[in-house]
Amino acid sequence: MTVLEIDHIDKAFGAHKVLDAMTMEVPEHCVFGFVGQNGAGKTTTMKIALGLLKADHGVVRVCGEKVTYGNSTTNRHVGYLPDVPEFYGYMRPMEYLRLCGEITGLPRSQITARGSELLEMVGLAGVKRRIGGFSRGMKQRMGIAQALLNQPDLVICDEPTSALDPIGRKEVLDILASLRDRTTVVFSTHVLSDVERICDRVAILHRGTIALTGTIAEIKEQHRHHGFVVECATPSDLARLAAAEELGAAGISHTSQGTTMVVTITQTPTGDTRSMATDLAGVTGRNGLTRRPTIPPADPAPTPSPPDQFGGQLLLHALTRLNITPIRFEQMEPTLESLFTEVVR
Amino acid sequence: MRGYLAFLKKELMESTRTYKVFLMLVIFAVFGMMSPLIAKLTPQLIGSVVSAQMASAIPTPTAVDSWTQFYKNVAQMGLVILVIVFSGVLANELTKGTLVNVVTKGLSRALVIAAKLTSMALIWTVSLALAFAMAWIYTSYLFGADELPHLGVAVLLLWIFGLFVLSLLMCAASLSTNNYMILLITGAVLVIGLLAGILPPAYHYNPLSLASQNMPLITGAITLSDIGPAIAITVALTAGLVTGAILIFRRRLL
Amino acid sequence: MNGIGEYVPFLIPLIIAQLVLMVVAIIHIVRHPHYRFGNMVVWIIVVAAIGFIGPVVYFVFGRDRDE
Repeated sequence: MTVLEIDHIDKAFGAHKVLDAMTMEVPEHCVFGFVGQNGAGKTTTMKIALGLLKADHGVVRVCGEKVTYGNSTTNRHVGYLPDVPEFYGYMRPMEYLRLCGEITGLPRSQITARGSELLEMVGLAGVKRRIGGFSRGMKQRMGIAQALLNQPDLVICDEPTSALDPIGRKEVLDILASLRDRTTVVFSTHVLSDVERICDRVAILHRGTIALTGTIAEIKEQHRHHGFVVECATPSDLARLAAAEELGAAGISHTSQGTTMVVTITQTPTGDTRSMATDLAGVTGRNGLTRRPTIPPADPAPTPSPPDQFGGQLLLHALTRLNITPIRFEQMEPTLESLFTEVVR
Repeated sequence: MRGYLAFLKKELMESTRTYKVFLMLVIFAVFGMMSPLIAKLTPQLIGSVVSAQMASAIPTPTAVDSWTQFYKNVAQMGLVILVIVFSGVLANELTKGTLVNVVTKGLSRALVIAAKLTSMALIWTVSLALAFAMAWIYTSYLFGADELPHLGVAVLLLWIFGLFVLSLLMCAASLSTNNYMILLITGAVLVIGLLAGILPPAYHYNPLSLASQNMPLITGAITLSDIGPAIAITVALTAGLVTGAILIFRRRLL
Repeated sequence: MNGIGEYVPFLIPLIIAQLVLMVVAIIHIVRHPHYRFGNMVVWIIVVAAIGFIGPVVYFVFGRDRDE
């Protein structure tokens, strides 16, 4: 089921168009990272979804119900954690939760039971102080407790970690990650390590539209740079490797720095590359290598081997032939950061 | 309804814990006690600085002087304090953003305004009643129990005027998030009323009569029907201001 | 002089109320030394010197909102 559905939302502030036919879907039971630069329109999107702002065009649905500006009834499905949550400083945690519960219409007995359970979860049980004296981290945890009070189907968090120190950030992320089973969490951030740490899905907002969205695994797979990092023990080893004939093949490029080499495979394994591998096997043969190369000359299977495997085998082959033992050999993983910069550029 | 009551409870808790109730009760109690004493002691205080024969020329103060002091203090200083104490009723929440949570949890904006007005009205009512009770006790002890028939009606008019001022304040508060701006708007409207008071016949219709014609009413110089139109206008304006506050606040960004 | 002396019983509650107002404000000023503006000395002078308005202005405008 789709918990939050944003359908071609436009929003302009004066002449400045913040959202432009922005479309996004958040499925049930996931932790959804909503990423964008400062000022990209993350908060605007969230406020529209909460009925706190009016969209110029487009529809937002929460649990299938349309969000209306002003008194939105869809908010009964939603828990909201503002970026810097502000509470009544003169209240104690339980008093605040009681106020929230009564406004939402929870039965009295349930308010007390759920309230103390949630305060326990966010580590504020037994805190008798007034909220006014809380640290930012405590306020953020208080914010999570109040957002979860009405057992929402969707929790919207606006940059929940941006104002926190490393410990406060870890605490808040751990709590958010633990919510996966009971609700759906959408949180906006510009801190990509936070997304990588707890999200299973991500959407990147850029120039008012979603530039990239999907599960983290999918996105990484789609944007994989086929390549390897090889680190040799000495620069001379690296120089020998760089001079290897295998690396001179078409579709393979490499750059070296110090004792580290980055090998990029730009060509996908079509029939051509496979024949290239065969050619290379011939090359090595001529160089007097006793062992047969590991690459089968012509794969009879209809599916071609993925470029990574092809290139990896090639590199390993070169290393073995030159008697070089690398101290590091790894396949390049796209980081969210590199993806983000690529998308936003 | 439950949301309204919960928010009203919150408003009263806020007013108590941020010393607003304390300030209002103590200051209004002081007004109540002070006014009869000032009336009673004025001749003595003057007598201590001027000659005895001049002092004897000063008429003996009566209960009327006591109530004159009362209406002067409460209608001027008292209302100023009421407005200052509650000037941040909405601005504090809007600048801090505390209402976002409450509204996203499903409390309608109209009920936010209603609960805030109710809370302020309750505190105003109790404060004015306390001041009136203290003044009444002191006046009876110091001046004897003179029968002043319109005492209750006069204070009732002042009470209505207080509600009018609160709704005016609320309307100003829904327009601006700046405390001083709110005070300025409220003050400006009241000053317009004061200026209108320069034309004597205007008092029939001027809402300010509810806070300035109390003594003439008590002494019988005017009758209630003389300011009947003013009462009707004040009530209508109050209703209009409350509606206006709600309509403006509905369109506000939180 | 049948002066002010006979009114002392009436004056005492009045004076107590005024003192309570001032003392509560001063205690608050001393115990919460964060203000939206001004400093402790200024606020104590304001509260002690300006009858009703002093404590009102302190509690409404001077007091730190989070305290």
